Amino acid sequence: MTFRVLDPTAGEPPATGQRAPRLDTLQGKTVGLISNGKEGTKSFFAHLETMLREEYGVANVVSRTKSNYSAPADPHIVAEIGQWDAVISGIGD
Amino acid sequence: MQLASKIYQAESIGDVQELYHANGWTDGLPIVPPTEDAVRACLDWAMMPPDQLIGIEPVRGLAITAEKLAINTVMAGCLPMHFPVVITAWTAMMQDEFLMHGATASTGGCAVLVVLNGPIRLEIGASGTFNALGNSDRATATIGRAIRLCLINLMDVRPGVIDRSTLGHPGKFSYCIAEDEEDSSWKTLAEQRGIERAASAVTVMAAGAPRQIMNEWTTRPEEILETFAAEMRANLRHYSIHPGNYAIVIPKQLREHLQAANWSKTDIAEFIHQRARIHRREWAEVGKGAVVRDRGDSVYPAMDSADQLLVIAAGGPAGGFGAVIPPWLGNKSHAVTLPIGACVDCEPPKK
Repeated sequence: MTFRVLDPTAGEPPATGQRAPRLDTLQGKTVGLISNGKEGTKSFFAHLETMLREEYGVANVVSRTKSNYSAPADPHIVAEIGQWDAVISGIGD
Repeated sequence: MQLASKIYQAESIGDVQELYHANGWTDGLPIVPPTEDAVRACLDWAMMPPDQLIGIEPVRGLAITAEKLAINTVMAGCLPMHFPVVITAWTAMMQDEFLMHGATASTGGCAVLVVLNGPIRLEIGASGTFNALGNSDRATATIGRAIRLCLINLMDVRPGVIDRSTLGHPGKFSYCIAEDEEDSSWKTLAEQRGIERAASAVTVMAAGAPRQIMNEWTTRPEEILETFAAEMRANLRHYSIHPGNYAIVIPKQLREHLQAANWSKTDIAEFIHQRARIHRREWAEVGKGAVVRDRGDSVYPAMDSADQLLVIAAGGPAGGFGAVIPPWLGNKSHAVTLPIGACVDCEPPKK
């Protein structure tokens, strides 16, 4: 007996945008850090900021923390991203 | 109207199972083959065309259609008459306040608790008595499973993909109960939450595993409820201090003592709201002294207000047991109750 059965998946999610062009250098740039705010992010992002400034010559590091670590970044944080040259988003537990 | 989903051919029932397991389309258990006829029977029952948009998943913008929900509903073992419950539960889960993405992706590992109220329980044979939180009946077993299969296949809520649960719990296979409305003088859960008793309704809650309590040694409401409150205090100490929707399940034996004393669900919720709270300093007693800091005297209630407690009448007739079902993580997700069949823009299916 042959069964004809259906694909249960929703398929590909809609495109949410394009990645910005890659930077040639971080020297003199502004980098934003978006943390989910969990305890484990604090020392990680603090160290990352030091590395970005001292080893890569980043001029400005802007640190932002989501108000709810289980939800997308707050609209005011997303609105700020356009002012940065690069953004690093990470979660920690 | 044609179904839009890709069709696969398999030569045997065994091949069907391997196809779905190999693609990661199951929860690890065998599935019922979702044939076109079976899927159409669900859609016809709900009077929905396949492309009926049930909603847009709020975080990634995924379109959830009736056809895809129906395929997963068939796979779970549901009958067509169960499909409106799955649709309503998913509509509720897509409300912003439920925070579906966070609740289903979190390391916290909660499941979606589905509570059924109203006449549909009797129509589909959903039982709120023996083994209410276990394998009580076909309807609740398969509806709860359908919720999970839809999450797996429509949102990639697979372990290690979107589902980042550290532990999870058995309710992630199926977590659906019906309230025992026939054997209770209380308002139903849906009534407490603003739905008329004559309507059928679904409540969804991002829920941890049930914590069973027992108190067979009193008939006094205050003492019975103190045991429930103590279990909630334990959750505040051992799991999370954040307030939110808790549910308690009260089977018949304890329910009768409360009803004989004329305690309503509102009375119960108000009592427990006063009793289910701890001081932050108590965390030092359970190994969490590092986060007490200078706020030891602060008081943390399990709920922000009494109406955050979902009081559910369910369970077998004998045994002085009850259950506390804690929230995933406080107020990050709120329980949502919706009536079944409240669709205002449905069209009959086009043959």
